[in-house]
Amino acid sequence: MTTPAIPEGVKRCPTRQFTLWLAVVGAVLLWGVYAMFLIWYKGLNQTGMNDAYGFALWIWADLAVIALGGGAFFTGFLTYIIGKKELKSIINYAVIIGFICYSSALLILALDIGQPLRGWFIFWHANVHSMLTEVAFCLSCYFAVLTIEFIPLVLENPKLDRIPFLHHLSHNLHEVMAVFAATGVFLSFFHQGSLGGVAGVLYGRPFAFREGLLIWPWTFFLFTWSAAAVGPCFTMLITWLTEKITQKKLVRPEAFQLLAKISGWMLLTYMIAKIADTWYWAAVTAPSKGFSLMDFYSNNPVYGIWILIAELVICGIVPALILITRKGRENKKLLVTAAILAVLGVCINRWVMVLQVMAAPLLPFHDWYMYMPTWQEVATTILPVAYGAILISLAHRYLPVFPHEKELNPGQ
Amino acid sequence: MKIDRRCFLSLVIGGAVGTTLTPVPWKLTDDIAIWSQNWPWTPVPEDGPSKFVKSVCTQCPGGCGITVRTIGDRAIKIEGQPDHPVNNGSLCPRAISATQHLYGPSRIQGPMKRAGERGQGKWEKISWDEAIKTVTEKLAELRTRGKPHTVACISDTDGNGSSYLMDRFLQAYGSPNFIRTPSSADAQELALYLSCGRQGTIGYDFRKADFILSFGCALMDGCDTAGQVMSAFGEQDKKTRLVQIEARLSDTAAKAAQWVPAKPGSETALALGLGHVIVRDGLYNKAFIDNHGFAFEDWQDDAGNTHPGYRSLVQDHSPDKVAKATGLSEKVIESLARSFARAHRPVAVSGLGSAAPDSLDQALAVFALNALAGNFQKPGGVFLIDEPDYLSWTEMKIDKTASAGNQHPRVDGAGSEKFAHTRYLPNRLPEAINSAKGDSPVQALLVAGGNPLYTLADPRAAQKAFEKIPFIVSFSTFIDETAEQADLLLPHPHFLESYQDVPTPRGMAHTVVSLARPVVKPQYDTRHMADVVIQIAKNLGGFIENAFPWKNYEDFLRKSLSDQWKTLEKKGFWSDSRSRDTSLDKIFRTSSQRFEFFPMSKFAAMNGNGNKKAGVEKIELPGNIDKLPLVLVPYTSMRISDGAVANTPFMTKTLDANVVLENDVFVEINPKTASEYGLSQGDKATVKTQAGRAEVRVNLFEGIMPGLVAMPAGLGRTGFSDYIAGKGANVYSLIAPAADPASGLNAAWGARAAIAKA
Amino acid sequence: MTQQPQHTKTKRYGMVIDLDKCTGCGACMVACYAENNVPFRQDESDKMRSLNWIRVMKVDNGKPFPDTQVCYIPMPCMQCDGQHMEGHSPCVSVCPAVATDYDQTTGIVSQIYTRCFGCRYCMAACPYHARKFNWWDPKWPADMEKYLNPDVSARMRGVVEKCSFCYHRYQKARDKAYVEGREELHEDEYQTACAQACPTNAIAFGDLHNPEHAVYSLSRSKTAFRLLERLNTNPKVYYLSSKSWVRRKADNYLEGENPEQIREKARKAAATH
Repeated sequence: MTTPAIPEGVKRCPTRQFTLWLAVVGAVLLWGVYAMFLIWYKGLNQTGMNDAYGFALWIWADLAVIALGGGAFFTGFLTYIIGKKELKSIINYAVIIGFICYSSALLILALDIGQPLRGWFIFWHANVHSMLTEVAFCLSCYFAVLTIEFIPLVLENPKLDRIPFLHHLSHNLHEVMAVFAATGVFLSFFHQGSLGGVAGVLYGRPFAFREGLLIWPWTFFLFTWSAAAVGPCFTMLITWLTEKITQKKLVRPEAFQLLAKISGWMLLTYMIAKIADTWYWAAVTAPSKGFSLMDFYSNNPVYGIWILIAELVICGIVPALILITRKGRENKKLLVTAAILAVLGVCINRWVMVLQVMAAPLLPFHDWYMYMPTWQEVATTILPVAYGAILISLAHRYLPVFPHEKELNPGQ
Repeated sequence: MKIDRRCFLSLVIGGAVGTTLTPVPWKLTDDIAIWSQNWPWTPVPEDGPSKFVKSVCTQCPGGCGITVRTIGDRAIKIEGQPDHPVNNGSLCPRAISATQHLYGPSRIQGPMKRAGERGQGKWEKISWDEAIKTVTEKLAELRTRGKPHTVACISDTDGNGSSYLMDRFLQAYGSPNFIRTPSSADAQELALYLSCGRQGTIGYDFRKADFILSFGCALMDGCDTAGQVMSAFGEQDKKTRLVQIEARLSDTAAKAAQWVPAKPGSETALALGLGHVIVRDGLYNKAFIDNHGFAFEDWQDDAGNTHPGYRSLVQDHSPDKVAKATGLSEKVIESLARSFARAHRPVAVSGLGSAAPDSLDQALAVFALNALAGNFQKPGGVFLIDEPDYLSWTEMKIDKTASAGNQHPRVDGAGSEKFAHTRYLPNRLPEAINSAKGDSPVQALLVAGGNPLYTLADPRAAQKAFEKIPFIVSFSTFIDETAEQADLLLPHPHFLESYQDVPTPRGMAHTVVSLARPVVKPQYDTRHMADVVIQIAKNLGGFIENAFPWKNYEDFLRKSLSDQWKTLEKKGFWSDSRSRDTSLDKIFRTSSQRFEFFPMSKFAAMNGNGNKKAGVEKIELPGNIDKLPLVLVPYTSMRISDGAVANTPFMTKTLDANVVLENDVFVEINPKTASEYGLSQGDKATVKTQAGRAEVRVNLFEGIMPGLVAMPAGLGRTGFSDYIAGKGANVYSLIAPAADPASGLNAAWGARAAIAKA
Repeated sequence: MTQQPQHTKTKRYGMVIDLDKCTGCGACMVACYAENNVPFRQDESDKMRSLNWIRVMKVDNGKPFPDTQVCYIPMPCMQCDGQHMEGHSPCVSVCPAVATDYDQTTGIVSQIYTRCFGCRYCMAACPYHARKFNWWDPKWPADMEKYLNPDVSARMRGVVEKCSFCYHRYQKARDKAYVEGREELHEDEYQTACAQACPTNAIAFGDLHNPEHAVYSLSRSKTAFRLLERLNTNPKVYYLSSKSWVRRKADNYLEGENPEQIREKARKAAATH
């Protein structure tokens, strides 16, 4: 079935099926939107957070989606700056996923602040010492960049492209895209780092605190590195998922292989750095404040040493080893497993750097602080997933996201 | 139309610059900024010149001086009055947060009469004229029927001007039934009367004493003495040795130099045991006992009968026996006795602020330790304070009806042959009414202070008794548990809105009279209860009217205080700390003119009683020990108001989550005991006693003796407001009264109890 | 972090709380609520959502009956001087909107409620849980708005608040002194509501730089310590306790470490600094 709105030469599912799918995901979205309005109307008492848990599920979701959205900047970096032409096959999709991740992050941030109407104070009364200021500036700027990167693709929709103004606008944007891509890469390096810095600078929280280089704690670099390593894994994972659902080949295998290889080496180097960092923290930083490693992993129902092993070994070393070996990469199942593990690993890392930081007691007469998110928090965290699914569905249906789709699916 | 790069850029940049040049974005931003910074529903308190007004807190008998910061007619903040002789600037959380009660939702805003059934909470607003007329008519009718003695008045004090006026009114009207609500002071006052022959209070010079031996007093946990003791504790150098005898590590025990966890109820045995060691080792003050003591040795009465003296009395309280009774080691008992006797300025105190009442024997036994030390009427010692005499009275004539009414025995049995020296027996009132055949012996009840339906032991029995009383008037300021069951509400103003004289607080070592005064204008349509009583007297006419030659309460205070009024108005208090009696010659007004170790008058009372041997060591708690193997004891906390007036919301806010969680109160149990019953921290459980049961939660606390269950007093309210009612359970409702055979006073120090996981 | 004006001497307002004297009565908390318009709710038993600028913690020595001991530890905002004593307190440096600031002239950490947008980063940064979030709109039932103190603004939902060492009292005292032509404040001219209310005088408050103030010598006494000193937050709230188990509870120590030695070492290092 072909309508003028669908790019030329590709096949899409029937409108009815598509509408049904949208309705299902839309219901989930509406649930999230309802929770969102509850939170804005009634305030943050709708959450499970408390004075010990000032940062919780949402901040984790923010850190996680931004890390996973790192595929956009890193793929952009490889494509435009390093000049890896193979990645042209996947760059559009990486941008869309990045756009979804970053817009979700901003939405969650708008929920997560007690006075959303004053959110802009972060720009107006900016405190240059605060990692969060840096995050806010870079995040918003980078989101603007992503939007600009996304617009030309939107304008390539056959129907829109017929409007001369939009056609020219798209053309002009394409010409300056490399500049934006470079800006995006620069911004990303910083805000990914600042997000790491958010936890790392907390010298009142020995579980999070890291020493570092000049004003940047080691987590600053580790976060950027891990986002660069795992972001592409997430892009691959979503692409693979899209291929499975649409039952089509969308991206050239070379693009997958290259991205996987780079990702693997990034992950391996990241893990080496991360393990070194953990060792130094456990052996030097924490003891200087009176804590032994096991103080952070005992006497509570959730946070055992398993979480450290899961993050570093099972979801770190293992996927890195799979990805750096050709055999591992070429085996689709192994590749996907590795991508899933890597994605889980970075999510665990972000979880630990937010929630375990809040949970660990500081004074000897304090207990571990436990927290359960409310349904409102869960719904608003799932909201971006639904929103992402819808945006991806629309983009895939109406935009020429995958430049090689026609060539890869000759029969259709 | 072709748009080239130049055109595109101009369009974008031009548009952006153009928009910023219009006032729209700036005005919007500014508006959002202002609106979001001042949320219209967040109050902005009005400012104005601020003043500090001196007054006194009347919420408990502690009598602490306060300074109230006001702005216009608003009371903003209550602070301690720095030079006040009672508290010297110290205040408890209850006093500090009194403005919450002043402006809070618990206030009764005007006179009201009951509209629905009793306790239904339906009220109809009436005028003061109608309210006073209703009371007058009821009282006039009872008098005409020759039943003035069936009117009773309950008050939380008998020491201040308005309670005097109440009592005077009853006398002029013809009823002997002025009843003071129970407190830990009852046994002390009786002990003082029996051993020293004086009606009044026992004062302790906490500031200068070097050894304070406290028999379970809530010195720093409860009301009454908190202001004076805490300020003294703060001023003392650390040389003062406080020893706390208590089965639970209370806050007082935690601050003590030594915590002596004796079994509850064994205090009398311990006091006598300490006396045993002191006498045995000859460590007592011989000069004092020779010159001012009586019945230390065995003695003969006029009829020639020999009676045992103190020495004989403590003879069989040897350390080994006392060790068994108290659960303490002999070593602890011996060393405690010696360090008390060897201190320069020791005081032994009991019955101050405790949640559980003392027996008369405990009060006497502890007081006797002070006599062994002979530390009377001198700095760092014990002072005998007379009951207030600062109000001068005009003579009063009463008519025949009144005189006949006054001849009737008191309904609570106080002053009867059996309890000759006891002045009030509030805990016997419910039983007296419930056991009466036919009409209730109380036909009209005036509740002029206190909250008996909450504070009486076993309030359920009291509730039953109240149901039989046909006419109940409450003068309460707040819709408390008793007011909820009344027929007529005649709200008394808050203490920050009215005058009130406050006599010497318990435990004070010299006389201090303070004046509470209107700090702000009355917020609601309230009237001082003394004004109402004066008005009723005038309405009743005749001798009753003549007994009240004052316009109102303020007029009464001014006239009867005469010169002292000026001092009170100016300074807020007056005291006689300099002029107090330090000579021992005239202070004992017993028949022997000496301190009586074994009071003759008590002996006489016992003879009348017939069934009592000397030295009842322990008030046995009723109940089957197999079915109720544990003992429930109440405890007081500075953060919970256990008296007539409930907590303020601020006080409740300070409670830890292992004291009150949502609507559950926690009982404290030793982990050992808890494990015997399969209870863990935070578990829901049921506590059962003979008197009732309560749903609670469990807080494991190492600082409590195994076998005990401790519950805070002051929770489980039904009255007041949504901020206060419904939290926890009332511990008094679990403790049935146990009458002290010597005094008739309630001496239930706990209740046998069982606990089971809910 | 502004340059201090030349004419005023730098002060370092601080507190010394004698734990031997604290009875846990709660007067400091209630005085603080009343002074600073702290709201309340029907159920305040969720202590992690209860607004308190000073909390009194109950700590025990963990020994069984009858060797149990209990100590109360009042915890206001510690008014940290920060890692290098220059005002980079854990919370101040992280606030993205400069809604909290370190006043170089007094050492007091401020909080501007109308600028705070409720990101709660400062709460995450504070190891003492001194910072509290307004989870609900404040409400004063019946006529209770009448007792609100006009010197302290009521906070709206969604912002963070904390103990200010009753800064409004400092401003009043300073203004009064200025009118009278004085530069120095007497010790009793500026006291926090909690210090003033403490019935056992357990809380001393004053300028830690001024030898005439009680806190000067108290904070330098042998048994003085601070909470979590090893984090280098440099709090200006000191504690005194004669009990070594209490002093040990104030910070984290590895097995075999001697708290007194470590504290002594830190004290010497600070003195040379």
